[in-house]
Amino acid sequence: MTRMDFLLIAPELWVVTMTCVILFVDLFLKEERRAIVYLLAMVTLVFAAIITLRFDYGGDPTASAFAFNGSFVRDQMGDMLKLFSYFVLAMVFIYAKFFLRQSRMFRADFYTLSLEALLGIMLLISANNLVMVYLGLELLALASYTLVAYDRDSAKGSEAAMKYFVLGSMASGILLYGMSMIYGATGTLDLVAISEAVRVSGSDDIMLVFGLVFLVVGLAFKFGAVPFHMWVPDVYEGAPVSTTLFISSVPKMAAFAMAFRLLQTGLGDLQSDWMQMLSLLAVLSIVFGNLAAIAQTNIKRMLAYSTIGHMGFVLMGLLPGTAESYGAGMFYVIVYALMSAAAFGMVIMLSARGVEAENLDDFKGLNRRNSWYAAIMAMVMFSMAGVPVFVGFFAKWLVIQAALNAGLVWLAIIAVVFSVIGAFYYIRVVKLMYFDEPITEAPIDAPVDFRAAISLNGVIMLGLGIFSGSLIQICMSSFGA
Amino acid sequence: MLTLAHFLTLGALLFCLSAAGIFLNRKNVIILLMCIELMLLAVNMNFVAFSRFLGNLDGQVFVFFILTVAAAEAAIGLAILVVVFRNRQTINVAELDDLKG
Amino acid sequence: MPIYEIVFYTFSLVMLASAVAVISVRNPVYAALFLVLTFFSASAIWMLLEVEFLAIILILVYVGAVMVLFLFVVMMLDINVEPLREGFIRYLPVGLVVAGLMAAEFLLVIWTKSRFGPEAFPSPPPHPEGYSNTQAVGEVLYTNYLLPFEVAGIILLVAIIAAVTLTLRHRSGAHRQNPSRQVQVQRDERVRLVKMKPEPRQEG
Repeated sequence: MTRMDFLLIAPELWVVTMTCVILFVDLFLKEERRAIVYLLAMVTLVFAAIITLRFDYGGDPTASAFAFNGSFVRDQMGDMLKLFSYFVLAMVFIYAKFFLRQSRMFRADFYTLSLEALLGIMLLISANNLVMVYLGLELLALASYTLVAYDRDSAKGSEAAMKYFVLGSMASGILLYGMSMIYGATGTLDLVAISEAVRVSGSDDIMLVFGLVFLVVGLAFKFGAVPFHMWVPDVYEGAPVSTTLFISSVPKMAAFAMAFRLLQTGLGDLQSDWMQMLSLLAVLSIVFGNLAAIAQTNIKRMLAYSTIGHMGFVLMGLLPGTAESYGAGMFYVIVYALMSAAAFGMVIMLSARGVEAENLDDFKGLNRRNSWYAAIMAMVMFSMAGVPVFVGFFAKWLVIQAALNAGLVWLAIIAVVFSVIGAFYYIRVVKLMYFDEPITEAPIDAPVDFRAAISLNGVIMLGLGIFSGSLIQICMSSFGA
Repeated sequence: MLTLAHFLTLGALLFCLSAAGIFLNRKNVIILLMCIELMLLAVNMNFVAFSRFLGNLDGQVFVFFILTVAAAEAAIGLAILVVVFRNRQTINVAELDDLKG
Repeated sequence: MPIYEIVFYTFSLVMLASAVAVISVRNPVYAALFLVLTFFSASAIWMLLEVEFLAIILILVYVGAVMVLFLFVVMMLDINVEPLREGFIRYLPVGLVVAGLMAAEFLLVIWTKSRFGPEAFPSPPPHPEGYSNTQAVGEVLYTNYLLPFEVAGIILLVAIIAAVTLTLRHRSGAHRQNPSRQVQVQRDERVRLVKMKPEPRQEG
C-alpha cells in the first residue's frame, strides 16, 4: 500500500470517519440539540465534495487511477456520479429533517445509516472487482432495508422492509451465482483481468453466457426493471417518505455505475449477448411502468411506477454499448435523481404534521394555496414527462438519439410512444394543482432551508434544461465521446 | 473420479432447492430467510470448487466475504422479522396484505 | 481411491436430503436444525476439497453464530405454525415442476458441454505436506484484498447499528442494571454497622 492508494480513497475514508464521529457524538447529545447531528452530516457531504474535487487527472477525462491492487478505480465518471450523490443526498437530508421532526423520528440513526449507504454507493461506483461490487452493493442494501423499517411502529413499513429484504437478498444470491460462473470461466475476480481473459477465450464461451444471464437478472432486480420490479411499488409506498426519497434517488446512480463496470469494463466483449437481454428489460420497463402509473391514485405508488419507466430509459442508455450512449445514460440517471428528489420533497412539504400526503388528491388546488410551490411541482412533472425546455427532455432525447445512432430504431419508437403516453399522468398532477378545488385551505409551512432547497431543486429542472450543454459535455467526455 | 462437474452439480441442486423453497414457503418468513442462506451456500459451493480446480485462491477469499456478509444479513433479516412480529403478532405473510404484491 | 468417492456421495446425499427437509418440515426449529446438518455436510465436502479454513469458518460462523441466532428468534417469537403451511400443498406441484425444469437446465449445461469436464478442469494435485490453507488464504486476504476486508468490517458495523435501531426500545418502568453505578458503589452505601446490646437468648 502506498500513499497514493490512500489519496485515491480519501473521500471514502472521510465519509466513514465522519459516520463514526456522528455515531459517537450522538451518544452525548440531549434531545433538543439533535440538530448538531444534521449539521455534522451536511459538513460531511460538503467536505467529501471538496476532497473528491481535489483529485487531478491531468486533463484527460477518460483516464483512470487504480488503488489497492486494482480493486478500486477513480475516473471522471465515478467522480461526477459521486459529486451528484453528495448533492442529492444533501437535498434528501434537508427534506427529510422536516418530515422526521414532524413525525417524531428525528434520530441520529437516519443520518448514520444514510451515510453508510452513501459509502456503499461510493464504493459501488468505484468498484473494480467482483468482491468490491458485491460488498458495495450489500453495504447499500443492508442500510436501505433498515431505513425502510425506520418507523418501527408502522406495520406497513416493516412489512415493506421484509419484502424488500427477501427479494433483495435473493437478487444478491442470483447475482453471486452469475459471478461464480464468470470467475470459473476466467479464473479472476478483477474486472479488467476478466475482460482480458474474455478477449483470449472468445465471447461464445457457454460458461460466460450462463453466468451473464444470472448477472443480468440480478442487476434487473436491483434496477427494479420489469419483470423483476414487484418490490418497487410496495417499498416506495410502505417506507416512510423520508426513506422513499432516499432510495428513489441516490442509489440509482450507483446502479448505473455498477451496470457499466460489470457489463462494459468486465464483459464488454459479450455486448451482443447482454444487449438483447437489456433491450427486453428496457422495453418491458418503459411500457409497463408508464401504463401502470396511470392507474395509481397514491402518489408514492405513481412515482414508483414512473421510476420503473425511467429505469427502462437508463437501461436503454446502457445497451447500445457506445460511448455516446453511456454518456446519455449517465446524464439521464443524474437528471432522474434530481427530479425524483424534488418530487418526493414536494410530497414531504404537503405532509402536514407527520401525516404523509400520499394521495394525488392532496395536490388539488395547490396553486391557490401557494403558487410558487405549485410552479416548482409543475416544473418537476414537466421535466419527468419530457416536455421540451425542461432538463428531462434533453435526457430522453440524448438516450433516444444514441439508440437511433446504434441502429435500434424499433426501441427508439417504443420509447417515444410510451413517453408520450406517460406524459398523461404527469400532466394530470399539474391539472389537479391548477384547475381543481383544494381539499384544505391550510397554509403550507416549511423551514427556510427546506424552502431554499426545494426552490433550487425546482429551478434546476428549468435551468439545467436551458444550460444543459456543459453537463452533457462532461458526461460524454467521461466515456470519450 | 470426481470432476468439477460433480461439485457444480451439488451447487446447482442446492440453488434449485432454495429457489423451490422460496416459492413454496412464501408465507413463512423464517423459512424464507433459511432458503436465502441455502442459496448463498450453493454459490459458495461453486466458488470453492472453482477455486480448487483453478488452483487460485481468489474464490476462497470471495467465499470468506460472502460468509461475513451473510452473517450481517441474517442479523438484519431477523431484526426486521422481530419488528414485523411486534407490529402484527404474526409472521404470516398471507396476513401481511396491506401491500399488494 | 474409492474412499474419496464414498465420502463425497455420502455427504452429498445427506446435504441434499437435509436441504429438502429445511424447505418442507413443519416446525421452524426442525428446519433450523436441518439447516445446521446441511452446513455440516457442506463443510465436510469442502474438507474433501482441501479447503480447510473455510470449512472450519462455515461451522464456526454458521452453526456457531447464525443458526443460534435463528433458533433464538424462533423460540423468542411465539409463532403459530399451522397457518404458515397454507398453500404449501397447493403450490407443491407447480414448485416441483419449476424446480425440476431449472435443475434439468443446470445439469444439461454442466454435463453435456465439455466446458466443465476433466479436460478443461483437470483434478488438482493434492497439496504438498506442510501446506497451510489458512496461511495461504490469509496471505491473499491481507494483501490483495485489504480494501474489501476493511469494507467487510464496515458492513458488520452497519449490521450492529441496524439491529440496535430496529429492536432496542427503552421501556419506562423496566428494571435494569446500571453497571457503572454497580462498580462505583462504596462499602458505606451498602453495609451499615449498627451498635446494639446483645440480646439475651429467649428461652422456649
